[in-house]
Parts: sequence; structure tokens; C-alpha cells
Amino acid sequence: MNASAQTPFRRALRSFLEQRTARVGLALLLVLVTAALGADVFASYSPIDVLIDKEPGAIRLAGPCINALGCDGPQHIFGLDNNVRDVFARVLHGARLSLQVGFLTVGFAIVLGSLIGAVSGFVGGWVDNLFMRVMDVLLAFPSLLLAIAIVTVIGPGLINTQLAIGIVAIPIYARVMRASVLGLRDREFVAASRALGASEASILFRKILPNALTPSIVQGTLGIGGAILDVAALSFLGLGAQPPTAEWGSMIGGDRNLLFSSPHVVVFPGIAITMTVLAFNLVGDGLRDALDPRLQR
Amino acid sequence: MTTYIVRRLLVSLPVIFGILVAVFVITRLLPGDPCRALLGEKATEAACAAFNSRYGFDQPMPIQFLKYLQQVLTGDLGDSIRFGVPVTQLIVDRLPTTIELTAISLTIATFFGIKLGVRAATKRNSRTDVSTMIFANLGVSIPVFVLGLLLAYLFAVVLKGTPIALPPANRYTAGVIPTEIAVAWGLAGLQGPLRGLLDFISNMAIPNAILTLNPGNLLDAVKHLILPSVALATIPMAVIARITRSSLLDVLGSDYIRTARAKGLSEREVVSKHALRNALLPVATVVGLSLGGLLSGAVLTETIFGFAGIGRTISDAITARDYVVVQGVTVIVSVGYVVVNLIVDISYAYLDPRVRINS
Repeated sequence: MNASAQTPFRRALRSFLEQRTARVGLALLLVLVTAALGADVFASYSPIDVLIDKEPGAIRLAGPCINALGCDGPQHIFGLDNNVRDVFARVLHGARLSLQVGFLTVGFAIVLGSLIGAVSGFVGGWVDNLFMRVMDVLLAFPSLLLAIAIVTVIGPGLINTQLAIGIVAIPIYARVMRASVLGLRDREFVAASRALGASEASILFRKILPNALTPSIVQGTLGIGGAILDVAALSFLGLGAQPPTAEWGSMIGGDRNLLFSSPHVVVFPGIAITMTVLAFNLVGDGLRDALDPRLQR
Repeated sequence: MTTYIVRRLLVSLPVIFGILVAVFVITRLLPGDPCRALLGEKATEAACAAFNSRYGFDQPMPIQFLKYLQQVLTGDLGDSIRFGVPVTQLIVDRLPTTIELTAISLTIATFFGIKLGVRAATKRNSRTDVSTMIFANLGVSIPVFVLGLLLAYLFAVVLKGTPIALPPANRYTAGVIPTEIAVAWGLAGLQGPLRGLLDFISNMAIPNAILTLNPGNLLDAVKHLILPSVALATIPMAVIARITRSSLLDVLGSDYIRTARAKGLSEREVVSKHALRNALLPVATVVGLSLGGLLSGAVLTETIFGFAGIGRTISDAITARDYVVVQGVTVIVSVGYVVVNLIVDISYAYLDPRVRINS
């Protein structure tokens, strides 16, 4: 095929799909999205329904019961948890929540971080200095620790946890965007817009920003996995999602003392988190390799 | 070199100041007034007025901030609401456990991470390479609390009764009591900073067992440390393996390596004497950066394995709404983190002359 006939988008897509790990990541991501969207269809139980009086024979912490494998009771693919809820339903609905959490948290951090970074890099001078020193301070905290401190102050809950993890992630996106803007602001097309009389704000937001987005998107994809991990960690500690919400971290945290007798309550949500984070990491790595011109062979 | 160190020190000071400002602001943003948070909901107006003037909450903000600075700089981080003891005392009691855990984890992560990375890079695209990278990808994706719990289940339940069974919780087996180093050395009467230092080291189980010459305790302490440190080391180990691999691949493609090969050196010598030294520079940065992750991970690891370390202290303090402890520990750990990063940067400049010339 004639390479010059390809648009940059198609070239990047091809380069992305050529990587085996990226394809694995994409496949995992598809499984997740399907699970999240179809949670109500695939799981025959509600994630917060306590089955103790509703279903004869439902006992606390019962292990997996799969009809296809010869179990003739009501089917609970991942077993029941300490509150006699269907773990499979909780894990599927947890996928929905985790994807939301990942995108929202990173979205928040990218928007604010990019704004700070863009203004910082474009304006320069004392504004740049001030913004970047504030970012340095945020980066100086071990991330989970700062998030914990923030949540202790604003109170536990899923929204507050996402806010805290988002705030902690701002400096990364600010730095990435600042670096891209610095690389673009002295280019000819910017000088041309200025000569045509465009206002400074319009130059920054209409001309520079669209061209500076790629690294932020790559960083954001890699950041989604991290955000899901961190929110799960805070939920594990009891600061994030509150019961009876089906959230992987809090499922593990809530039942962790039962691990030794009923490992299924920890193992399945654990696999779910690992798979999700792995999917975003692989896709993020693939995107970076496909979009970074320095890595193009 | 001296100029670089001085400049780097000067840059750290505003960051530390910023940490103090940030923690102060977070403290003052506390919902509700501090009086009722500390004295209870039913505190009377008079009691609150007395409380506020005692702790200076009736003063203007800038004055409060200066007072806070003065307190922190003189080593006063307030008293724990729950235990009534100074936060500094809690830190001295519990930080050693965390330092021991993170130091061992970082050592494991660096040693095995580099080993894995080198193996993957020198056998590029082989089965070793692919399996190492699968491990590395899984390693950065599994949450430390899931890995910790699974390891505990595997080694304490599944392998129970076998020689490789390991304890899933606590720093020592119940009944094993460490002797204070000062007491063991016949220095029980010692006072002052030297005694403080001895007590601090005394609270680290492994150095304590070695310095008090107690092989039984040493074995027990090591056994209890294996699972937590492996759980905590996995993420940084995977990151280090990846960065070592890509950095070494970069270097192996350069001209001077071709020259080294051309003059007839064995592949082993080329890698270990020529390539690895240059390839390890980015690795050094990543090792420094993983400390933040290790400190964050320590909160979870210590909670799972029941270690009375600083991370566990924080997570307990959260549950008990002991704000003073959360803030004090955050300040200390963050400042410590800045200082360690400073040391990493300086050693980096020492290793790589380009750093101190270009910056």
C-alpha cells in the first residue's frame, strides 16, 4: 500500500493494531465494556439483593455453584458473599462503576491539569512559575497519602474519593500539557494566526490546544488504570464507595477477614480489578507506541 | 557538584514550605469547628471558648499559621485525639517498622527488577522475554491489597503444614518479645538522643534481632516480613524490569557497543561492563520515584498484614477520625519523601555528569 495515501489517523490505528499486547488490551476492554453494559442481562440477580429469605437454600458465603459443572442448586457463578448477595452480579455491576470512576476521575484531572498546564506554558513568566511550584508541592506528597488526607477532611464517599484522586493526579497532566504547549507556541502557524489578528486566548484554545492533546490522551489512558486502582484502594480502606454499593475495592475490604474460609469473595473482585487495570495499561502502552513519532520505525 | 547540591537544596525548601501550607489549609478546611471535633458534640459554649483560646483558634489565620509553623519546626505535631500521646511519639514508635518494610521491598524490587529486565533485553523476543513482560504487565496491574491477601491465603492456608508455610499477619509470632537494644547492651540508664536512636533501631525487628544476637527472633522476624515485602515489592519490581529492558535495548543498539563487540569482548562483558552502566541511569530515577508508591502501598500492606507501622497508624487514625494523627504523619512522611528524592537527585548527578552540567 502507498504509505502517503494514509491519513495520520489510519497510520496510527494500523500501528496500534500491529502490536499484540495492544490487541490483547483492546479485547479485554471490550469484554469489560460488554460486562458493564450488559450487567443486568448477564446477571440474574440484583447486586444489592440479600437472598437469605428470598431463595431457599441460599446460605451465607456459599461457594460458586455452576449448573454446567453439575451443581443443581440456583446458579451463582461466583458464589455468595457474607451478606448472601450474588458475587457475580456484584462483580459485573462493579465493572460499570469502575469504568465510570476511571473515566470521570481522569477526565476531571485532565481538564483541570491541561488548563493549568496550557496557561502556564503559554503565558510563561511568574504565572508559569507559580503554577508549577504549586504542582511541585502536590507531587511532593506520596499520592495515596495525599488522597487519604483530602478524603479525611471532605468526608468519605465515592464522589469525594474520586475528587481526591483527581486532584492528586492534576500535576501529571499539567506537566504533560505544559511541555506540549511549550513545544508549539513558537511555531510558524502560531505566528501566522497572531499576524492575522487572532486574540491570545483564541490562539491558545483554538490553534495550540488541539495540536497539543495527543500526549495528554496517551497519559490519560495510562492514568485510568491507576485511578481505578487508587479508588479501589481507598474503598478497600473504607473511605470510598459505601455499602451496599457493589464496588470491587470495598467488596474486598469488607469481606477480607473471610478470605481464609471463603476465598471466592476476595478472588473474583481481585481478578476483575487486575484485568481492568491491565486492559487500560496495555491499551495505553499501545497508544503511546502508535502515536509517539519518536518510536515510529 | 557543590553548586548543584546547593541549588537543589534551595529548590526543596519552598516545596517543604508548600507541604506545610497545604497541610495547614487542609486542617483549617475541616468541616465543623475543631472544638466539637475534639471535645465532642455536647461541648458547652464556655468550654469551646476556653478551648479555642487555648489552641489559638480565636487568632487571625496568619497568626495561626505562624504558630503552626513554629510548632512543627520545634518538633511538635500535636497530640493524638484517640491515644492522647504526642504524634511525634507515635511516629518514633511506628516509623521504624515502615522503614524496614519499604527498605527491604525496595531492595527486592531493584535487585530482581534489574535482573529480570537484563534477562529480557539480552534475549529479546525469546520466551524468557515474553514471559518477563507478561509478568511485568500483570505486576503493575494487580492491586497490592489483592496480591497481599492472595499471598497470605496461599502461604498460610493452602501451604499450611508444609516447610514453606509463612505467617499471614503480625510482625512477630505471639509470645516472641524483642529485647530493647539499649537493655541488651547494658545501657538501660542511657538518656538523650543516643538512646532515642537506639530505641528507633530497636523498633526494627531484623536489626534488633541481629544487634541483640538473637537468632530465634531473627528467623521469626524474617519469616513475618517475606509476604508483606514481596506484595509491596511487586509493582516497583515490574516497573523497574520494564524500564531496565527498554533502556538496555536502547543502549545495546548504540555504536560504542558495536565497537566493544568488534574488539572481541564476550557478550557477558559487553552487557555487564559496558551497556548496563549507562542503561541503569534511567533506572535510578525510577527507583527514586517508586518510593512514593511504596509509601502509599505500605498503608495497604500494613493494614493487611497487621503491622504496627506508620501506614497502619494512618488507616486506623482515619477510622477513628483522629485528624491530628493523619495530618502529622502526612507532614512527616511527605517531608521525608522530599528529602529522599533530594538524595536520589544528588546521587543521580554524581552518577551522570550531564545532569549537573545541563540543569
